[in-house]
Amino acid sequence: MLNQRKYILALIFLFIAVVFTALFNISLGSVSIPLKEVIASLLGMHVEKDTWRYIILNYRLPKAMTAVITGSGLAVSGLLMQTLFRNPLAGPYVLGLSSGASLGVALVFMGASVFGASFAAIFLSSWSLVIASSLGSLLVLFAVILASVRLRDTMAILIIGLMFASLTAAIVSVLAYFSPASNLQQYVFWSYGSLGNLGWSEVGILSIFWLAGILISIGSIKNLNSLLLGEQYARSLGTNIRKNRFLIIIATSLLAGSITAFAGPIAFIGLAVPHLIRQVIPSSNHITLVPAVIFGGAILMLLCDTVAQLPGSEVSLPINAITSIIGAPVVIWLLVRKRRFNF
Amino acid sequence: MKKLYFIFFIAIICSCKDQKSANHALKAEGKKVNIENAEGFSIEKFEGYSILKVKTPWPEAEKPLTYLLADENAEIPENIEYDEKIQVPVESIVVTSTTHIPALEALNEESSLVGFPGLNYVSSTKTRKLISEGKIAELGQNENLNTEVLINTNPDLVVGFAINGANKALVTVKKTGIPVIYNGDWTEQSPLGKAEWIKFFGALFGKEKKAAEIFNTIKKDYLKAREVAATSTNRPTVITGSMFKDQWYMPYGNSWQAQFFKDANANYLYSETKGNGSLSLSFESVLNKAEDADFWISSGQFTSYEQLLDQSPHYQQFKAVRDKNVYSVSLSKGETGGILFYELGPQRPDLVLKDLISIFHPKLLENYEPVFYKPLQ
Repeated sequence: MLNQRKYILALIFLFIAVVFTALFNISLGSVSIPLKEVIASLLGMHVEKDTWRYIILNYRLPKAMTAVITGSGLAVSGLLMQTLFRNPLAGPYVLGLSSGASLGVALVFMGASVFGASFAAIFLSSWSLVIASSLGSLLVLFAVILASVRLRDTMAILIIGLMFASLTAAIVSVLAYFSPASNLQQYVFWSYGSLGNLGWSEVGILSIFWLAGILISIGSIKNLNSLLLGEQYARSLGTNIRKNRFLIIIATSLLAGSITAFAGPIAFIGLAVPHLIRQVIPSSNHITLVPAVIFGGAILMLLCDTVAQLPGSEVSLPINAITSIIGAPVVIWLLVRKRRFNF
Repeated sequence: MKKLYFIFFIAIICSCKDQKSANHALKAEGKKVNIENAEGFSIEKFEGYSILKVKTPWPEAEKPLTYLLADENAEIPENIEYDEKIQVPVESIVVTSTTHIPALEALNEESSLVGFPGLNYVSSTKTRKLISEGKIAELGQNENLNTEVLINTNPDLVVGFAINGANKALVTVKKTGIPVIYNGDWTEQSPLGKAEWIKFFGALFGKEKKAAEIFNTIKKDYLKAREVAATSTNRPTVITGSMFKDQWYMPYGNSWQAQFFKDANANYLYSETKGNGSLSLSFESVLNKAEDADFWISSGQFTSYEQLLDQSPHYQQFKAVRDKNVYSVSLSKGETGGILFYELGPQRPDLVLKDLISIFHPKLLENYEPVFYKPLQ
């Protein structure tokens, strides 16, 4: 009971931290905008320069929203996968979703060199990447679900996900081999991830998928807890393992698939945040873990984006470089300090 | 301490001496061909042969490449060191970059071309005709040449280029006895310097005089256009490049593109920057600096305002977009989709400059029809 109260306090603290990091993230960027003007823009009051208001409301705010959605969504999918496979190395992409997405995107950028120029024509639409990426993820998802219906053993799904990743990587490398440098560069840049190119309509669509994924995850909390004890035990508690597995895979796909479609394959967050949270809040109960991971993912992503923007300089860095540079040392430090690995 | 200085001084003197004596080893009776603007190559003519030196075949190249261009039955002194010997005039050739094609056409040598990697990128009409007649073999792509097909076309010479260090496929070709030489036109930074590489091809085909005439005409026209541009009192502001995701890629102020803006009497907002490659800037900093720029000379793939705003609605915030002052090279394409500017632009800086002047100062060049830069629809 005492612990319950502690956990609730921790969650409240994390939520407040999300709000503050979001404000911090919105107020910093390449262009220095005084804090007063940032707040005025957000509250719809008079702003000194119209450009500033535009930057805040139409660039930084959707970017911060995207950071919150991607960070929290990937962190939750990472947690789901780690629990489902009872494997601390699992992350949101173990099912091969990002590999599927990367194949779709590689076809858009580099298919022209293999399949002729009609391919390049599709590329001019801003939605082409999102659609290609989603189709690629869906393809892999169906294959995984087909497999999961046939398979009794959850671990086999892990292997199948890995196999898909190798398969798609091989096809991508063939495409890359025949591509001119400029197309290859575009593909590589996509693989670095990007939070800042979403308009409000895209953020809207992304948040619908996010909400669906998060709701299914919250609905699976009880089942996740029973899975921790092992599949045999979960069965004896009356959990329907297959249905349960199916729901968890769907939630992960909704989250990781839609995030990859809009922001690219954002690395590291999904794997690291569940571990960070477990080290800070030593609970194995998903009632605490799921919301904590949602907040933690949002905070880490916002911080990473703030650093990637290199406030005050005209240049900015790709987000994927930053997630690991910031995240990895933190995880290492926590593990070394605690000397105990909570999983 | 003084002693040390003395030793140091002597060492410097000696090292200078060494270099001088090494240069003497070459026979000093050649006549240097006049190269006015290009930094990347030199030609020295001797009796029956000439020495073509490519100084920077690729950026950061450690040493220049020396090519011996010899007439048939010419007597070559024994002490000459070279990387490759080529018998001139060359009768059949393989080139690997579209930027080489206009030089061949200008010298009336397009029919010497027997193979090219990536035929679809070629836009020049005379060469396109030869391609459709099946006279030019498809060799795959530059970084990954189809060596078998290349060897089968059996050219007298392959003119390659390399991004950094020798191209693997070309090394293989060289082993079969087909001479390979590297062209470094793309490392040249000045507009006229790039155009002067026609003299490189002139030397290969024994058409030095013709190449010099062509270059002189281009240079004269370029300088004249620059003078005309300078008469304008109005100096519009301009940006270039385009966004990918939320990063805006913008050429540096010392780049080839930026020099055209300067010569066209326009104020390129990033003219103070220096570097290789291109700047990658965050969208908000470009908006902050350039929202009021008069013109945007885009390098994007879009050909209409609809496509442009579909790529990113943020573009609407720029005055150049609102006033419909966006121009792009993507509207002048060859029949197979290659963009004409990337092929012909380096060879014809006079046309590039006139295009830009007609955009920035429409009153100065009336009735001029732009070749590369067209307004978005």
